[in-house]
Amino acid sequence: MIEQAEIFALMNRNRAEFVKSAGRPAIGWLSIYTPEEILDAAGLVPFRITGEFAQNTSEAGSMLCSNFCSYLLHSLSEGIEGIYDFADGMVIVDECDWRKRLYEAWKKQLNPPFTYFLELPKVITPESKAYFRLQLKKWVAALESHYQIQITGEALRRSISLHNETRTLLQRLYKLRQSDRSPVTGMEALQIMKAATAGRKEEFNRELARFLDDVEARNEPQAKPHRVLVCGSYFDQPELVEIIEQTGARIVCEDTSIGIKYAEGRIEENEDPLTAIADYYLEKATCARMYDSDIRLNHLLDLIETYKADSVIYFTLKFCDIYLMDYPYVMSRLQQQGISVLFIEGEQQMSNIQSIKTRVQTFLETRMF
Amino acid sequence: MNLFEVTDSDRKSQYRNMSEVLEACRIQDLSSSTNLKASRIRSLLNAYRLSKAYEPDSKVAYVVEQFPNELVYALGMIPWNIESMAILLAQHGCADSFINLTQQNNVSRDICSFLRGSLGVIMANCYPNPDIVLANDQPCDCLSKLANITSKNYRSPFFSISTPTELNEDTLDYLAGQQRRLMKDMAAALNMEFNEADLDRTVGHSNEAREYYCKTLELLRDYRLPGVAREMLEIFGMNAFGIPENVQLCKTLYQEALEMSKKPENKRSGKRVLWAGQAPDGSHEIMQYVEKEVEVIFWAPLWNSNMMKLDPDDPYRSIAQRAIEYHWHMERFQANLAEVCDTYGIDGIVISNAWGCRNMLALSPMLREVCGEKKIKYLTINVDFMDRNNYAFNHVKNRIDAFLEILKQSHL
Repeated sequence: MIEQAEIFALMNRNRAEFVKSAGRPAIGWLSIYTPEEILDAAGLVPFRITGEFAQNTSEAGSMLCSNFCSYLLHSLSEGIEGIYDFADGMVIVDECDWRKRLYEAWKKQLNPPFTYFLELPKVITPESKAYFRLQLKKWVAALESHYQIQITGEALRRSISLHNETRTLLQRLYKLRQSDRSPVTGMEALQIMKAATAGRKEEFNRELARFLDDVEARNEPQAKPHRVLVCGSYFDQPELVEIIEQTGARIVCEDTSIGIKYAEGRIEENEDPLTAIADYYLEKATCARMYDSDIRLNHLLDLIETYKADSVIYFTLKFCDIYLMDYPYVMSRLQQQGISVLFIEGEQQMSNIQSIKTRVQTFLETRMF
Repeated sequence: MNLFEVTDSDRKSQYRNMSEVLEACRIQDLSSSTNLKASRIRSLLNAYRLSKAYEPDSKVAYVVEQFPNELVYALGMIPWNIESMAILLAQHGCADSFINLTQQNNVSRDICSFLRGSLGVIMANCYPNPDIVLANDQPCDCLSKLANITSKNYRSPFFSISTPTELNEDTLDYLAGQQRRLMKDMAAALNMEFNEADLDRTVGHSNEAREYYCKTLELLRDYRLPGVAREMLEIFGMNAFGIPENVQLCKTLYQEALEMSKKPENKRSGKRVLWAGQAPDGSHEIMQYVEKEVEVIFWAPLWNSNMMKLDPDDPYRSIAQRAIEYHWHMERFQANLAEVCDTYGIDGIVISNAWGCRNMLALSPMLREVCGEKKIKYLTINVDFMDRNNYAFNHVKNRIDAFLEILKQSHL
C-alpha cells in the first residue's frame, strides 16, 4: 500500500501526467496571486509551473540573461523543452519586474495559444481593489472570447467554494504544526503544498482529508524538537528541508509561496464573486513584492509567535532582488526581537548544497545544544 | 549600532558627513566634462539644490528615478533622487566605502550596485533627513523597495504609486486617481496647503522646458553637436521638469545647440553610436575611449516619454501616461529603438549592461533583435560603474576595439 504522504510526492513527480489526465485544457501559472478560481470556473485546469523538470537553462539564459531568478529561468526552460506542450498557455501575474520580462520572452519565443499578463497593484487600498477587480473582469472576458464560453457567477461561486475547501484543509495541516510536537515533517508539508497547486483540487482535497485523519491519529514524537520557520522567496528545496530535519530540528512553518502564503484566508462566498476574489488576493498579499516591507515583516512576526519558532531560516533564490533587498531590514528587526536568523542564498537546483549543509548544521547545532 | 535607524537626524551633521566624504575623495569640481554654458548652469543649479536640501527648514522628498517631480515641486518641496546622488559619488570614485559598508551589513552583492551604493550612503547618514519618501516602481521594483526601507530608517512618511504596465484607459484612470490622492496625502502629512494652481504652474514650467528639450533633440538629428547629447542625458537624469530654473537650463542648451548648428564643421559626419543602458560620466575611461572614435548619443533622453508635453487641462492623466511610457516594456522599447535608429541615423549600438540591472539584461536580447532587423552593428558590454569588483576596463577594451573596427569598415 502506498503511504498516504507518498501520494502527494507522486502527484508532484508525475505532475504533467497528473494535470493532463484531467482531460480538460490546462493553463500554467507562476504566482500564488493568480486567481485559480477563475480558470477553474472556465473549465480549465490551472497548475503551477515549478521549474523543477528543466534539464538545461542555457537557452532560457540567452533569451533573458543568465543572472536571473533561477525559478523563472528554469520555468522558461521547461517551456522551451516542451514539458508544457500539452497546456494551452500561461497566465503571468505582475508580481515582479522579472515576471514581466519572462512574460515578454514566453509570449514572443514560445507563443502558446493563450498567454495573459495580469496586472496586480502593489498597494492595498479601496482603489487598488477596484482596479484589480477590473483587471479580473478583463481577464474573464479574454478567456470567454478565446474559449467561446461564458464564465457564470454560479461557476465562479462553485469554484470559490472548492478552493476554500482546499484552504480549510491546508489550514488544518498548519494547525497541527503549531503543536509542540508537530506530527508533520517539513518534507511532508513541502510535498503537500506543491501537490495543492497541481490543478486537481477535488482529488487533492480528498487525499489531504485522508492524510489529515491519519496524521491526527499518529502518536506525537516524544522529543520536543527545535522549531524552525523558513521564510523567503520561492522555496522548493527538498534537499535543504532534509538537511534541516536531519539535525533533529523540525520545520514548523514556511512563510513562502509553497507554504502558508498559499493557504491563508478564505474568499467570501456571499459577495459578488469577482469582488470577493479581488479583495482576497490583494488582502492576502504579504510577499516582498508589496511596497511596504512591514506588511511582510509583521506577518512574519505573527507566524514566528504562532508557530513558536526557535530559529528562522531566510532563504532566497539568487537574483531575487525584492527578497534580497528586504533581507537586511527584516533581519535587523528580527534580531532586535532576539530572533536568530540564518540567511541562505541558493539556486532552484541547488549546486552548492554541501556548503549550505555546513552552515545549516553549524547554525542549528549552536542553537539546539 | 543599528544601521536601519538613523539616530542623528540633524541635517547639519548629515551635511558634515557628506562634506567629509567629498573632501576625502578630493572632489574639487563637480562640473560636467563638457564646455557648454548649459553644463555650468546645471552644475550650479544642482549644487544650489543639494545644499538647500540640507537646510533645516527645507522640505525634502526622497524620490526614485522617474518620479513625476512636478507633483513634488507643486508642494514646494525639493526632490532628492536617492539613486542619482550615489551615481554622482561613483562618478568621482567615492563609492567604494559605501559599497563596503553595505557588504558589512548583509546587503547581497547580487543586488544592482547603484542601489547598494545608495543604501551605503544612507547607512553612512550622508543624505539630508527626508520629510517624506516617495516611490512609483520606476525604474525597477528594487529601487522602490529601497525607498520604502529608507523611509523606515528615517521614520519618515512613505507614499507610493503603483504604476501599471499596459497603456489603456483603465490604467490611465487608475494612475491619475492615485496621483490626485497622493497630492492630498502628502499635503496632509506635511501639514501644508495644496492648491491646484500650484500644480498648473509647475506643469507650465515643465512644458516650457520640454519645448526647448524637444527642439534641441531635433537639432541633434542633423548635426554633430559636441557635448549636447551628454547634456541631454544629464537633464533627463536630473528630472527637474517643473521649476523655472530648468526652463532656463533647457533654453540655454537649445540656444547653444542652435549656434553650433550654424557652423559648417558641425554638419553630421562620421559614425554615430547610440548608447543604450547605463552610461558613465563623460570623463570615464570607456566614454573617452569610444568618443575618440565615434560620436555617441544616448538612448534614454530620446524615449517617447521624454517628448511628451503635459496637458494643462488634465495634468494628472498626462503625467500618468508619461509614467506608463517610462516603464520597461519590450514592445514599446523595440518600437522606440527602431524609430530612434531611423530618425538619428544610428550606425551602431552599445548595449551597456550594468551588473544587477536585470531589466536591462533581460531586454538586451530584444534590443539586439532590432539591431538585426535594421542591420545595425551592436556591442553588448557587461560593466559596473559603481562597484569596481565587477568591472575592469581591460575586460571590455578588446571588445570595444573590435566593435569600433567593424564600425569603421562598415561602409566598405
